Amino acid sequence: MKSKLFFLVIFFILFVSCEEKSDIPHTTVDILIEYPSDLEELSVQYETVKFKNISSGMETEYSNSKQFSLPEGLYDCSYEASVTYLKNGEMTEGKLRGYQASLKVLGTDVKVTLESYLLEDKNDFIIEEIFFTGTLQPSGKQYNGDQYVKIYNNTDHVLYADGVSLMESKFITVTKYDYTPDIMKEAMTVQAIYTIPGNGTDYPVQPGESLIICDTGMDHRVANPNSFDLSRADFEWYDESSVPAHMDIDSPTVPNLDKYYCYTLSFWILHNRGFRAFALARIPEKKEDFLKNYLYTYKYVMVLPAGTFPMEQTAYKVPNEWIIDAVNTSVESRYVWNVTDPSLDSGWTHCGTIDGDKTRYFKSVRRKLLYITRDGRKVLKDTNNSSDDFNTECVPSLIEEQHTATDANGTPAVNITYDGVTPKTE
Amino acid sequence: MNLKKIILIFFVTFLYFPFVRAVPDKVIFSGCVRDTLTKELLEFATIQLKGKNTFSGLSDKNGNFKFSFVLPGEYVLQVSYLGYVSWQKKIELKSDLFLQIDMTARSNKLKEVVITAAESPGIVSSSKIDRAAMAHLQPTSFADLLELLPGNISQTPNMGVANTITLRETGTLNASGEKSDNPDYSISSLGTLFLVDGAPINGDANMQYIPSGSDSSSPEYKRNITNKGVDMRSISTDDIESVEIVRGIPSAEYGNLTSGLVNIKRIRKSTPFTARFKADEYSKLFSVGKGFAVSGQDLILNIDGGYLDSKVDPRNNLENYKRINASVRSTWNLKKEMWNMGWNSGVDYTGSFDNVKTDPDLSYQKIDKYKSTYNRTAFTNKFSWTFPKVDLIKSIELNSSVSIQSDRLKRTKLMSPQRATVAPTSMEEGVHDGTYLLGQYVADYLSEGKPLNAFLKMKGELEFFLGKVKNSMKAGGEWNYSKNRGRGQVYDISHPIVTSGWTTRPRAYKDIPALQNLSFFLEDNITARMGKHKWETLAGVRSISLVGMSPAYLLQGKVYLDPRINSRWSFPGIRLGNHDLNIDISGGYGLTTKMPTIDYLYPNKWYNDIIQLNYYDVNKPLEYSRINVRTYIKDITNYRLEPSRNRKWEVRSDISYNGNRLSVTYFRERLTSGFRYSSYYMPFEYRKYDASSIDAGSLQGPPALEDISYTDTRKLDGYTQAANGSRLEKEGVEFQFTSQRIRPLRTSVIINGAWFKSTYTNSQPMFETVSEVVDNRPIQEEYVGLYDWNSGRINQQFNTNFMLDTQVPEWGLIFSTSVQCMWFVSTQRMYQNGVPVSYLDVNDGLLHPYTQESAEDMKLQFLVKTYNADSFKKQTVPMAMYVNFKATKQIGKYLKLALFANRILDYLPDYTSNGLRIRRNVNPYFGMELNFSL
Repeated sequence: MKSKLFFLVIFFILFVSCEEKSDIPHTTVDILIEYPSDLEELSVQYETVKFKNISSGMETEYSNSKQFSLPEGLYDCSYEASVTYLKNGEMTEGKLRGYQASLKVLGTDVKVTLESYLLEDKNDFIIEEIFFTGTLQPSGKQYNGDQYVKIYNNTDHVLYADGVSLMESKFITVTKYDYTPDIMKEAMTVQAIYTIPGNGTDYPVQPGESLIICDTGMDHRVANPNSFDLSRADFEWYDESSVPAHMDIDSPTVPNLDKYYCYTLSFWILHNRGFRAFALARIPEKKEDFLKNYLYTYKYVMVLPAGTFPMEQTAYKVPNEWIIDAVNTSVESRYVWNVTDPSLDSGWTHCGTIDGDKTRYFKSVRRKLLYITRDGRKVLKDTNNSSDDFNTECVPSLIEEQHTATDANGTPAVNITYDGVTPKTE
Repeated sequence: MNLKKIILIFFVTFLYFPFVRAVPDKVIFSGCVRDTLTKELLEFATIQLKGKNTFSGLSDKNGNFKFSFVLPGEYVLQVSYLGYVSWQKKIELKSDLFLQIDMTARSNKLKEVVITAAESPGIVSSSKIDRAAMAHLQPTSFADLLELLPGNISQTPNMGVANTITLRETGTLNASGEKSDNPDYSISSLGTLFLVDGAPINGDANMQYIPSGSDSSSPEYKRNITNKGVDMRSISTDDIESVEIVRGIPSAEYGNLTSGLVNIKRIRKSTPFTARFKADEYSKLFSVGKGFAVSGQDLILNIDGGYLDSKVDPRNNLENYKRINASVRSTWNLKKEMWNMGWNSGVDYTGSFDNVKTDPDLSYQKIDKYKSTYNRTAFTNKFSWTFPKVDLIKSIELNSSVSIQSDRLKRTKLMSPQRATVAPTSMEEGVHDGTYLLGQYVADYLSEGKPLNAFLKMKGELEFFLGKVKNSMKAGGEWNYSKNRGRGQVYDISHPIVTSGWTTRPRAYKDIPALQNLSFFLEDNITARMGKHKWETLAGVRSISLVGMSPAYLLQGKVYLDPRINSRWSFPGIRLGNHDLNIDISGGYGLTTKMPTIDYLYPNKWYNDIIQLNYYDVNKPLEYSRINVRTYIKDITNYRLEPSRNRKWEVRSDISYNGNRLSVTYFRERLTSGFRYSSYYMPFEYRKYDASSIDAGSLQGPPALEDISYTDTRKLDGYTQAANGSRLEKEGVEFQFTSQRIRPLRTSVIINGAWFKSTYTNSQPMFETVSEVVDNRPIQEEYVGLYDWNSGRINQQFNTNFMLDTQVPEWGLIFSTSVQCMWFVSTQRMYQNGVPVSYLDVNDGLLHPYTQESAEDMKLQFLVKTYNADSFKKQTVPMAMYVNFKATKQIGKYLKLALFANRILDYLPDYTSNGLRIRRNVNPYFGMELNFSL
């Protein structure tokens, strides 16, 4: 009793003293940008540094300034610059970007070194949409055989989908461990690799066209009346098994992906709370050589409320230069870090804001529409920053088109949009 | 065996004896100590005969004592017993004398009582807990009494899990040092025998579980008692007079155990009408009882009953545990000059009910339900005929019991298959079609078990002298029978309750043969005096065998012998100040053997269903789809299964001085044949149809197998089989100190505690699979590694409990403060080399050595399991200290009020583990009870 009273008194004193001095102390931040060393004759045209306060959400943008004062706190810091540099003997325009998450701005002075990198347009497929949340049965239980990923030809020429791999990250964006050796700068660590088959020219995709890669290419309304039809999808990841316990369905109408590697014996399900990153890659090596040589063993210490547990695991590493697009997903309440190098994706997108958000079902993330060309082709936004590039919590495009259920009660979808937001006006 | 014959032989020897008895210049003085009112026989009463020589001794469990070499003359006889008025009388011994001594309890006031477990003064290391200790402890179930054993501290009752016993060990721990259940080491509790009034609680025929697929958080998993012995939740303490928990090497009289023995004696005396109401955070308990002395003094009738209603979480009404128990016992004693006859019988009922439902407001799974009921009725008899005044033959005892159980486990679940799954429905081996499970369904599962247990035991006791060496011999035999007559697992295989790993089919338990256990024992208790030294040895041997099984079993008829010996040397008293310092040194060695249960010996057949064709028709999924399955049925009985055998030894020292007593025991136990389910793998052939060769457009019905192209292939698949694959090593020091009551403070100090080091690991190499799928094929279908490693943990703990026991009899007050210190708990994972010694290859089904070359293979490289070297470091949880208060107060003549508050104070310092600061906190547990005694 006595001690409780004591704490009350202390609390009261602290509270009162807080009120008297309401100013949050400010910190002077010095930014040092490290430019890519391999760029010759680099000159910066225009640059901005953006600070986003993690707790208050306040954004502060500074142009052409490397020193400024900020209220103390935790910040996500991003950098963008328009530059010119020498490439193949010609001056070329380009963009630089830098990113650092969870930067501590405390004390009187903080020096921040931000590494920047050249933003490269890979001139290849991009992820247009990820439907990872799944649907709900009429009883309210979740159903997830209907997950899909849509990939899009955002270029102005034909692309061949042969050999494009769909991958899921091993690490999650809501828990950060110090994985040693740390290879994130060179490669992405993945736990599932499924590759589109073909000889190189079997699956042409016209500019402005997309491919649907789904879990099971069947009409899911047979199993769950709230789901939709995927029997006309382009590819499915079929997890063949002779064990009845984890039998997948192989749709005869949808070709299968080549299963290079998967961590699980049963079926691969995209993380349905959205804690992982998804990526597309073109693996230039022969399958056998890749599987033999790219296994990555890492150590980390798992920290849980119950204690800390030293761990060692294996997964595959896919070099960053093979990756043509990557999208991190997370939830706001638990986001900690990106599980890909910032050069692949410096932001993240989401469905739902808290862990296990019940409102996330029947929703997907869809890439934002930039503009529609004269010939009707949509051009999507691709700045390698998923926070900027994606519309969140959209009605999935297939649900829109098929006018199927948008919730457990079976309320049908009405509107059709380009990107989950911009309506189609036909 | 013919009982009549034995009795006849005893009679003949009995008649013959008076003639050979030498008539010496010494006389035999013997007697019997009992309670005046209740006629209860008093064990361990101190008898002192002072005169020319001084003789002293203790009464045995029948209240009898005997001094054989007394010089005739005048003596003062003093008999004392805790809580009784001491008895004194002058006697003159001229010839042999037998005396009936009736002792009067210090009534009306609360007498000074023992409120903790006393280290038994007998030769076998055991703890004795009596009624007074239980009344002060205020237990909900038997599990709460274990707090009093060395090495244990108070625990909040958890009525949502099966409460199983562990003796002299830390129990299996997880990586952070918390208790965690591991069925691989269930021999700990399975190997502890529970006896109630001499008859065992036999759990060998219990099979109330849901096969495969239950995860560790499901209600059926937590309450599964199969192969785990006795669930202590179901034992009420209100009809118990005393409990003896044998931690050391038990007498050869007791068997079919590895770890220890819990010997429960129930109230068999005349008592006033008593009623008890207990309430705490989790439960309400009500019990009544009365002991009647019928027709004079020879027959006593005890009737009692109780009801417990408890919740796992006081806020949640939907998960609860209820217990009903009732008992009628009769005790009949006939005392004649030459012999006594006793017949104790009892009828007991125990009902135990678990209920779990899902809150319809919180979850969509409104339908999910779990209900488990356990009803046991037991009829127990003990007939004894003792001859206290006869040389040689001392007693003949016959125990019998029959118990009938009726258990039901009902589970209902809403199953929502993720995509479509398949239910393999064939009960026969071969190729057949399976059915798709599309959409949700409600699955029901019933397990009906009706174990019937019978027990019969006969024992004779002899006593004779070889020179001055006293020999008390025991010999006898025991037969145990277990049979489950239930309908067993009942469910619709087309709508299974688990959609993953369904490798069994319904089966009736009544089709399983009975288990019969036959044992014989012979034991001699030798007491010799050498001057003022005393040497006592209890040496015996016990046989155990399973009979009536198929000769295919290695165990059938095979006899295992358990030699056991306990020995004690008592030094003469050393005079220090005004009192004698008495020192005893004792030690023991023994083997103990536990036979496997019905579940281990008669497993259900293993059904391996392999999908050969998985064709899903997109256009007409319900009509044209086809699943073709090949089913293998394999008898996975381990005919080479052996019993679990434990080797125990210990040394002990007892020191007593002026009512202060210290006892220290060092023990080691080693068990390498513990039961566990081990995995085995072998190749299975099947035909793999290529569904893509089906032309979906031209189908007029499900596709015909003949039209589909196929390849014949094989894969590795595994099953689990009961094996002697667990190793359990126990080592430790137990100590208990009890001080004399410090008169001015009316307080005595009790210190007990233990250091335990327990090793839980495997004793055979293990097959393990990897889950990765590489290049479209799971690795485990082609290769499985065999690892010769120690997968387990070495746990240690050290605790000390300090108890201050204050008793003020004139105020009717007992107040105890217990400071329980767990100095540390540590756990260390045993080093595991993740490189397999060999691997099983699907192509030939043989083991191949795992070489450097294998480690570079695209697929075989996955068989190397990698472990962070730091994970083998010892994790230590530092000191934890809790303070518990308990008080009992007599109010007026009829009412007693008791209350307790456990962990009302605690000291749990923060500590760092791998650089992380860990804070700890506990919740107090408190409650109170009213006891009426009319």
